[in-house]
Amino acid sequence: MEQEARQRIMAWVVSEVLPHEAQVRSWLRRMIAPDDIEEIIQEAYFRISCLADIAHIQNGRAYFFTTARMLVLERIRRSRIVRLDALTEIEASNIISSEPSPERSVAGRRELARVRRLIEALPERCRQIFELRKIEGLSQREVARRMEVPEHTVENDVARGLKLILHALAEGEQQAEEAFSNAREDERTRDLRRDQ
Amino acid sequence: MSERETSDAINSAAAAWVARLDTGADAAVRAELDAWLAADERRRGAYFRAQAAWTMLDRACVLRGSLDMQPAEDIETERPRFSRRTVMFGSGMIAASVAAAAVGIGQLRQSTERIETAVGEIRRVPLKDGSFAAVNTNTRLAVTLKRESREVQLDSGEAWFEVAKDADRPFVVAAGDVRVRAVGTAFAVRRTGDGADVQVTEGVVEVWSKSDPTNVRRLSAGTAAFASNTAGPSLPADTGPDLDRTLAWRNGQLMFDGETLEAAAAEFNRYNMIQVEIADPALAQEKMVGRFRTNEPDAFARAAATVLGASAREEGNKIVLTRD
Repeated sequence: MEQEARQRIMAWVVSEVLPHEAQVRSWLRRMIAPDDIEEIIQEAYFRISCLADIAHIQNGRAYFFTTARMLVLERIRRSRIVRLDALTEIEASNIISSEPSPERSVAGRRELARVRRLIEALPERCRQIFELRKIEGLSQREVARRMEVPEHTVENDVARGLKLILHALAEGEQQAEEAFSNAREDERTRDLRRDQ
Repeated sequence: MSERETSDAINSAAAAWVARLDTGADAAVRAELDAWLAADERRRGAYFRAQAAWTMLDRACVLRGSLDMQPAEDIETERPRFSRRTVMFGSGMIAASVAAAAVGIGQLRQSTERIETAVGEIRRVPLKDGSFAAVNTNTRLAVTLKRESREVQLDSGEAWFEVAKDADRPFVVAAGDVRVRAVGTAFAVRRTGDGADVQVTEGVVEVWSKSDPTNVRRLSAGTAAFASNTAGPSLPADTGPDLDRTLAWRNGQLMFDGETLEAAAAEFNRYNMIQVEIADPALAQEKMVGRFRTNEPDAFARAAATVLGASAREEGNKIVLTRD
């Protein structure tokens, strides 16, 4: 039962919270030093992870914004240095958070395309592993066998690819492209060195 | 004290944990993970986030089967008035009241549509001639489409019009004695006690007062003028970037940029039953900057209180701001 509830919440986070992270971050950027943004995001996800039930939440995006806003306010109160513009910005977030979430039919299709794009943009070996693991549904062990690489290589690439994808979610897609192509560059030079 | 783990390090570790758990890790690994998580809430947040991203990738396959198109939201058409999409805020206390009456007998080809908005209500109404009206809070107006002209009687309040081009049928707004005439253009008229404020967002309009039809001024996009019932329009002034700000109500927003708290509160009070009152005269003269929803006087009062070091308390239908 517990397990089922967790899964339901996770599914909700995937479709209603995660897609808005880049927006929440760009909103935070207007008020908070870059170093602090990551912490606010982590704390916000922590709060969300503590939810036992999501039935009362109508709009995940709004909830995400509200949570982040609360954390920023707590931080400002603690620091005792009050930036006026930060505060009005916080209040202005009402606007952002009350907007209706985009239509679902579109969102669903966009989500698929986005997920596919995220995977396709990964460095070559990462991409193969992610496709076998997530699209073909193989286990890591099966992926390792199929690709004839050690299992820990698969595990490492899963971690690496996931990090890139998290980065993409954080930045929105455009900047993510750059990060990905840099990573591909790295892989190429590394492979080159190995080949020599 | 040991150095604080950076957020980036936490994110990397979280991704690594997700990858490790995905190998089908045993109880020992799980226990290790639990210990890692228990040490810091940020780790739990980062791990949860990484899990969510990892779960999201499942949709690359899951979503494949469920992509049927859903019908697009219906497009506004010339259908019964009640089906028009209205933008309403604070729905609880606002009754939708599109009172549309065809004043028909003996007046063929001419119909009058009355539009009334309650306090706090902002309505976007397509007109039959293809024009579009955004009607602000607490407004009463009547639109009459005749063969040779289009007439809007603004009894009270404010509206912004985007006028469909029709050179043969000028579009004239009457606000008291003030007249605003457009052919194909967009502008806002706000009725005040002794005249009307006119702001032009697109094209050109002509403004005059019935009491002095010789004093006609042409206002072009990006300008605004006040026209008094008796003396007619004053010299137009450039609105500059202010225009978007002063017309933000069309999207249910109020934007302030250096207005006094008093003026800002008065603006809010146009939209809400709950009235914001400023008990302290010095406080009333403080300047406000910010953007709010028209229907959230409480958010406004809270922001003002926090920024200006005041306190806000609710008293029945009022929110009173004081400095103690």
